[in-house]
This record gives sequence, C-alpha cells and structure tokens, in this order.
Amino acid sequence: MANDILISGRNLRRHYRRGSETVKALDGVDVDVRAGESVCVLGPSGSGKTTLVNLLSALDAPTAGELTIGGRRVDGLSERELVGVRRGLLGYVFQQFHLIPTLTVAENVALPLLFLGRKAEPAEIARVLAAVGLADRAGHLPKELSGGQMQRVAIGRALAVRPRVLIADEPTGNLDSHTGEAIFDLFQKTVREDGVALVLTTHNLALAARCDRTLTLADGRIVA
Amino acid sequence: MTYSALAWKNLVRRPVRTALTAGGVALAVAVAVSLGGFNLGYRQAIAGSIEQLGFQVMVMAKGCPYEAATMMLKGGTGLLYLPEEAHAQIRTDPDIEAITPIFIGIAEKQNYSLDGSPAASAFTILSGVDLDSFRAMKPWLKLKTGAGYDGGRWFAPDSTNEVVMGYEAAEYEQRKVGDVFYVSVVPNGKVDPELHAFTVVGVLERTGAQDDGTVFLPLRAAQTAFGRENELTIIGIKLKEFNGIRMREFEGRWLKIPEVQVVSLEQVKGALVSLVGTAQTMVAAVAVIAVLVAVIGVVNSVLTSVHERTGEIGVLKAVGAGRGQIFRLVWLETLLTSLAGAVPGSLLAAGGARLTDAALRHLLNIGVTQPLVRITPGLLGAAILGAVVLGLLAGIWPAGRAAGLRPVEAIRSGE
Repeated sequence: MANDILISGRNLRRHYRRGSETVKALDGVDVDVRAGESVCVLGPSGSGKTTLVNLLSALDAPTAGELTIGGRRVDGLSERELVGVRRGLLGYVFQQFHLIPTLTVAENVALPLLFLGRKAEPAEIARVLAAVGLADRAGHLPKELSGGQMQRVAIGRALAVRPRVLIADEPTGNLDSHTGEAIFDLFQKTVREDGVALVLTTHNLALAARCDRTLTLADGRIVA
Repeated sequence: MTYSALAWKNLVRRPVRTALTAGGVALAVAVAVSLGGFNLGYRQAIAGSIEQLGFQVMVMAKGCPYEAATMMLKGGTGLLYLPEEAHAQIRTDPDIEAITPIFIGIAEKQNYSLDGSPAASAFTILSGVDLDSFRAMKPWLKLKTGAGYDGGRWFAPDSTNEVVMGYEAAEYEQRKVGDVFYVSVVPNGKVDPELHAFTVVGVLERTGAQDDGTVFLPLRAAQTAFGRENELTIIGIKLKEFNGIRMREFEGRWLKIPEVQVVSLEQVKGALVSLVGTAQTMVAAVAVIAVLVAVIGVVNSVLTSVHERTGEIGVLKAVGAGRGQIFRLVWLETLLTSLAGAVPGSLLAAGGARLTDAALRHLLNIGVTQPLVRITPGLLGAAILGAVVLGLLAGIWPAGRAAGLRPVEAIRSGE
C-alpha cells in the first residue's frame, strides 16, 4: 500500500493581501504524498514551506488549485469543514512545540482524543509515551522538560490519534543538532513501523537527505 | 481529561485575575441575595408583626394612622386618645368577632441604667389592657416558667400595682416574678411626675413581636396612672369576616363618631411595605449596577484570557478542536468563573444576614422585631442560577471570538 496517495495537490495557490500588495505565498505547486513515505520540503525563509504544509495539513485552504486529503477534496471548504478533515487523519508538529503549559505530558498527549470524543485509555497514552521515549515523564509539566523532550511530547500528541499523515514544520529548528537527529530518528521510526506518511520542512540538508523525497521551494514554486 | 478540567486549569493559570473576577461576581451575588432576602424578610416581618397584634382593624383617634400603627409595632410618643364610650358603642356591631380596648402610655423608668448607660430605653411602654378580651385576642401569649418565673400569673383585673412584663422588657430590666419595677409618670394635666412601684407578677414568653418590649397592666390602672380615665389609645377589632367590602361597611358605620378613625391593618401593612420601597429600589439599583459590573468583569477577564491564548487556541484547533468545542471550552471557563463567585457570594450573604439585618434595622429604624433579612435555600438557588445564566450570557461573546479564530492566523499571532 506504499503507493497509496494520501494527499494530492494540483496547481496549489495561496495568495493573500498585504496592504495594496498581493503576496503569492504559493503559486502553482503540484504535490503528492503517499502512505509510508517521508517528504522533506526545503527552501529559504519566505519560500512558502510553511504555507504549503499548512495547506497539506488542512489548517488553511488554497486560494486556487485542487487539493485532496484522505480522498476528500478540501479546496473551497470552510474552516468548520476543514476540522473534520484534520481530525484523526493528520497529526501536526510545530517548531515551537506549542504544548499547553498547564497540562502534564500525558494530558498534552491525550488532548486530541478529547476533541475526537474518544476516551484517553491510560494504556494507550503509556504506549505513545513509551514510543516517544517519555514513559517516565508522564506527570511532568512542559516547563520541567528540555526542548528535545517537549518536541517528543508534541510528536506523541500528534501520534495519539494514530494519524495517517504526520506533518512537521521545522520540528528540529529549535533543537541542537544531536537532539534534532534523535527527533528525526523518531520520525523515521514512526514512518517505518506505522506506515505513516511524513511531510516535514527543514533547513537542515543532512536531515533532508535522509527523507525519501525532497521538494525545494523558492518564491512559492517548486524548483527541484 | 475533560473539558471542565481543561477549563479549570486555564482559569487557575492566572489565579489573581480569576480570583478578582470571581470576587466581583461574589460581591454582586451577595448584594443581590441580601436585597432579595430583605424584600422577602421585610414583608414577612411586617406581616408577622401585624399578625401578632391579633386584630385586623384598629379604631383610634384621628391623626396619622400609620404613625399610630407604627407605634403599636415599635413604640413611640405623641399619642392621641379617644373616648372610652366609643368602645361601648362599637362593641355592639354585629360584624365583630372580638374587640379589646387598649390604653398605651409612655413612662420613664427609674434606676433604669443597670449598666450605667443612659439610653433611649429610659422610657418604657405601659400597655393597659382588658385582660379577658386581650387574652382572647392573643391566645398565644404564655407566661414564662422556670427559676425566677415559677408562680407567674396575669395581674388581677382590678389591681393597681401589678404588671406583667414582656420577655425583652424583663430581660433588659433584669426583673423576675416578685420583683418591683419602678416607673414615673406625668399624669395628664400635671407637671410633676408621680412614682409608681409595680410588682412583677408574671413574665411572658418571647413572642417576636412588640409585646416582648411592653409592660402590661390593667386597663383601669393605666388610665388612672396617666390621669386619662375613660380614654383609650386604640380599640383592636377582629371581624367575623374580613375583606374589603366588610371593612368599608364597618368603617362607614363608625366614622360617624367624632374624632375617630378606622384603620385596616392591611392598609397599614401596605403603607409600611411602601415606606421602605424607595430604599429597596435604591438598593436594587446598586445590586443591578453591581451585577452589570460583574458581568462586564467576567467578559473582560475571559476576553483577555482568550486574547492571551490566541496561539494556544489555534494549536487546539490544529490538533482537532472544532468551533463548537472551543466555544464550549471558553464558555465553561465563564461558567466556572461565575460559579466560583456565585457560591461564595451566596454563602457570604447567608452568613452575613444577621449583620445585614442589624445594619438595615439601624439605618431604616423599622418597627418590627422579626428578622428583616430572610435568606432561603430557594433564594440562594435562584441567585446561583441567575449568576450561571448571566455568566453564560457573558461568555457568548468571548467564546464566539475564540471559536471563530482561524488556526493559522491564531498560531501565528501567538508566536
């Protein structure tokens, strides 16, 4: 099933107004993401990497173009409808971790299950925490963790719903190189063991080289 | 993890702000509950005090009927008198079930200052009553028993030096059965006071009405002491059938007596209730303002919280929260804030009811002895429910704003 296309974008455009100027953050991008593959999006700052992953994760809708996620056309959907697309299918990891500071590690991981209306079974949360190497940190608050540990929590949160696509926007950008490597290892393990598709953006060429494919963006277009 | 737990954790993140907001709600609820308790208590107290008078209609000398009625309830001076023959005439009325003549006089107590403090209580109300008809009108009056009170009895109808003291009058004067109670009276038409030594032959059980502070003696003895033989202060009447029509008919029959007026205690009750109407309206206005300020406080607090957590709300949406779920979460925060204020506010009002009662009694000088502030479970429930409803209304705007945030913009603005 490795060739199953989970995300398909054709001629994706994302334009927006900044004062009197129209900014073409993404300008005619074609992209496919298959189950079990890792796709790295490279490019300089402002090239449209984050805009692309926002579209692929249904956090934003394209201005034009066709976008299909999990077999469902999402271009033109409202935010209310996009929520339904995201739930259970996509897991998102941020560069800044974005953990809820008042919740423990286990609670942060269980949070998406609350919105799915699913009970957070302790055994399931323990499994996720063990998978991200935080079995002994379940009751800790984010402020008690290192950057690498916080990113592991964020990955655990994304994995808790057993997503088919894991999308990470510069997940190692705030980590030292050693920790970044460890986090990337975790991503690869997830892709390999769970058959999850991975889309990530990074400036780190060494990490990009370890992905199945790379897309290089410049000025909102794929250049390589 | 539940929505309530998540909402609570969000609230305790800013404990001072949450406490201040809840404190505002608590204050508003306390004011509202106290006002509601006052409305409830005052009406009941007036009704209860009038009920304890034992009669529905008073016949008295022309003057301000409400002043006379208030005097009956709380004591006072400036008494007017009517001729005793009015009693003989009116008692023949076929609609009357019971009638009792009363003579009220104000006497100065001698050696009153047992604790050395001069006070307004240097005067006492002496109430001359016709024993049989008075007791028939107030069958609940009972003589106190126990050490110092055993052997108590009502005074002999023809005695001149026996009194029965109300519960509080006896307590205040520290008199028991067999003690002597000294008062001085200035008889009508004379200048110098005359000293009277009355023997206390009985002390009444507490009634919760003005009778507690009254000293009773035979009607004739009171009239004689005050030099007003053949005069009465009021005639208390209980009609066989009491309603507006009967009352008007009765009034029409007896207004023919010169210098006499007929007053229904229902009218007096209405007048006494309306007396504090203005004060109640003002307090209600304060309560409404307090509630409005509290609602604005809640809106402001939750809006600020939503603003501070814009990025976080975006993250919640990114991990799967829908519009309705974010709305629910923020709404719950508002609800919890309201409850965190409403419950202590209600308890504060309930706990402080006696203090509020004392303050109102001091400020308004209301002539009732029963509690002025009655805080019932129903009132507390209504206050908490009201706070919850207002809290939910207050939460609509901030919750709607949070729910309407687009995840990408929200996350970006939080970074």
